[in-house]
Amino acid sequence: MNFSEVYSRIKIKSKNQLKLGGGIWFLDPPKDVSLDGYRIDDVIHYTDGIILFYFGIVVLLMTYFVIKYRARPGHSAEYDKGDRKKNVIITICMGMMVFLTIDVVIEGMAFRDLKQAFWKFPKGENVVKVEVMPQQFAWNFRYAGLDGEFATADDLIPTQNQMHIPVNTPVVIQIAPYDVIHSFFIPNFRVKVDATPGMVNTLWFQATETGEFEIACAELCGNSHYRMKGVLTVDSHEDYQKWLSSQDEEGEPEEDDWGDEDEGVPTFWGWSWKEAI
Amino acid sequence: MHRQNKQTFWSKSIFSLDHKVIAKQFLFLGIFFLLFGGYLAMLMRWSLTHTMEQLPWWLLGDLLYQESPVGSGIIGPDAYNQLFTMHGTIMIFWAITPILIGAFGNFLIPLQIGTGDMAFPKLNMISFWTMFLASIVLLASYLLPQGTAAGGWTAYPPLSTPVGGIPGSGQAYWTLALTLAGTSTLMGAINYITTIVRFRAPGMSYFRMPLTTWGLFLTSILNALFVPIIAAGLIILLLDQVAGTQFLVAGQKATIPGGDPLLYQHVFWIFGHPEVYILILPAWGVVSDLLSVFSRKPAYGYKMTAICMCTVTALSGLVWGHHMYTTGMSPLLGKAFMFLTLLISIPSSIFFLNWLGTLWKGALKFEVPMLFAMSVMWVFGLGGLTGLYNATITSDIYLHDTYFVVGHFHYTMAASVMFGAFAAIYFWFPKIFGREMNKKMGVVHFWTSFIPLNLVFFNMMVMGYAGHHRRIFDPSEFEFLKPILGLNEFMTLAAFVLGIAQVLFTINFFYSIFRGKIATKNPWNAATLEWTVSEPIPHGNFAIIPEVFNGPHEYSNPNVKGRDWISQSEKINS
Repeated sequence: MNFSEVYSRIKIKSKNQLKLGGGIWFLDPPKDVSLDGYRIDDVIHYTDGIILFYFGIVVLLMTYFVIKYRARPGHSAEYDKGDRKKNVIITICMGMMVFLTIDVVIEGMAFRDLKQAFWKFPKGENVVKVEVMPQQFAWNFRYAGLDGEFATADDLIPTQNQMHIPVNTPVVIQIAPYDVIHSFFIPNFRVKVDATPGMVNTLWFQATETGEFEIACAELCGNSHYRMKGVLTVDSHEDYQKWLSSQDEEGEPEEDDWGDEDEGVPTFWGWSWKEAI
Repeated sequence: MHRQNKQTFWSKSIFSLDHKVIAKQFLFLGIFFLLFGGYLAMLMRWSLTHTMEQLPWWLLGDLLYQESPVGSGIIGPDAYNQLFTMHGTIMIFWAITPILIGAFGNFLIPLQIGTGDMAFPKLNMISFWTMFLASIVLLASYLLPQGTAAGGWTAYPPLSTPVGGIPGSGQAYWTLALTLAGTSTLMGAINYITTIVRFRAPGMSYFRMPLTTWGLFLTSILNALFVPIIAAGLIILLLDQVAGTQFLVAGQKATIPGGDPLLYQHVFWIFGHPEVYILILPAWGVVSDLLSVFSRKPAYGYKMTAICMCTVTALSGLVWGHHMYTTGMSPLLGKAFMFLTLLISIPSSIFFLNWLGTLWKGALKFEVPMLFAMSVMWVFGLGGLTGLYNATITSDIYLHDTYFVVGHFHYTMAASVMFGAFAAIYFWFPKIFGREMNKKMGVVHFWTSFIPLNLVFFNMMVMGYAGHHRRIFDPSEFEFLKPILGLNEFMTLAAFVLGIAQVLFTINFFYSIFRGKIATKNPWNAATLEWTVSEPIPHGNFAIIPEVFNGPHEYSNPNVKGRDWISQSEKINS
């Protein structure tokens, strides 16, 4: 992919993005295929707009001052310390304006989204639960199997780095690493969560389209961090059921050819599902 | 202060107690590491666009990585991890800290507040030599058979402990070196605070101090408060690395359960977030002062600027959690951190208002320091505002640990702080070395730094927005990154121009020390006290301790006849 192709992508923006600003970045993030990813794009686009506004003011004024007030014969500076009552009032007004247009709006958007989506973990029968154990430098996944309980003998362990989920269904993952800190990042879903040794973290998302998407490790985890890649396959419901029934039950998982030079996955891992996180 | 006994070369230039000599030592150390860290950045940029290719001769390809496991003269993934780890560590702790705080803190504080030397000259000397020792330990890690540290500049455990599997003991050298550097900083901080609180000249009230001194003062307070915290964290990390303890290690691969990797992250960022303000506060001060000098009018809203600096100082200690939104932080805690972080937008916006106010109706002289000071308004504008994305929990979930963060903090650290430091170097060079730097070369240095810097760092943010996660040796492993990699070649070219510009600066710097035009006592017609001392500045600085009558920015005062400035130690006759 060369340079000109990159720059030819500059002008492709959706209506929604233009409305909210979004003029700063000439590359687009990977296509959003998640239920709530638009919320993140929206808050980013609002921030784009407000940045353009304030930065624009600073740059315009600076340019104007550079031209108008440059030192030249016959022009001298005006002695003004800017410490009169008037100046203090202007300062306070501007502080309030920044607070109202930046802090209040962005916080409002973010807190609403966290409450309505990112921290509102789905419950119920149809939720797909997956346990994830990253290791240097691969992703291990575990499905509950027929009994619906984790850490039992009928758990399904697919091939390393292969995760399947059904479309239009909430998915909850619980994640804890084997060795060092990793971070589970699916750019197409705008989600990310750290996997820290000694604790189980939770994340949920929902796919709106079928297809294959990449899972990246976002936290430096060693020399092969750059190729710690998983594939998230979003299936239709039928394909997902077909895939589930083709998976082996508990046992040694298949090794991936570029997986880990270390001792590999421990023979047993998994934990009983933590309900109240 | 009145040590008139015989001075040998050793006591005068090496183990000197004179704050001005120690300042120069810090300056040389900082510039050496600035070039070294910059060179590491060049190697990284080369590796990103020419992955697994032989280094060219002009990057010293015939000398480096001869025993690299992936082939002679080739940067492999291990070497790449070492590059970004050391680049970050060196630039933050060995380049901008010694230049802004070590050199300018030492040089300016006694001169600007009107005193003969630091409160504790011996501690000051020990501070430098501790830093020197830290530098030796850091550089020695390069001689280890398996190379230096590779755990990132944050060195998160368990990766940075034996559990993480980074070969060799480079990681332990890194921890030790950083602990020593922290000790040096702490000694400096105590010295600066004591000097400012106790040794101000008569009449030099807090609200008559130049804003540079304000910045350095607040920086020192932050250092004194938070460096001990990181020191504690580093010491337990060192124990984990060399003594077999497992304070910061957990999970199945750890043999003793019950450690906590998150503890280190908290400790690191409790220090680490104030650290960015530690670096930028002096730069803000320098910019505020210089805009006033070169606009020939008083700093607009001086008191408000000082108060805003204090506000930011206080807030900076309360926001570290915004580095950890993705760690599974409690929702309430996350919201509190986000609220507090966004509050920083208010004092920051007041800085901009006051900087613009200073330019307004001024008589702007575009000397080299002014160019750098004004460019800080541009780069800090972009750097500060893009912090909003990272402060917001939802957008940070997506942008955390991507190139967006890298671009953002390079705008604040590498651009704002470094340009503040360049402004300071160009401005105070005549006072430090008694000679002037070449203006033409300075202007070329400015434009060849400013333009490529924006091309590199802005595009980093663009790449991060497109999803590029950081610390990736070979981004072509990922399909979703392939459309954006064309940008890398452009950025590498720009980065090389940026690197060459710094070589130009170094040539100008050293040439001017020996061959520059002899400077007059006050070449910029500046009002602060350091410009009243005679050149070369004697040990003890002032023949008589001056009395201060005015604020630090008395320019174009209508009551002063015949010139547009008056020194802080001159009375205005009206």
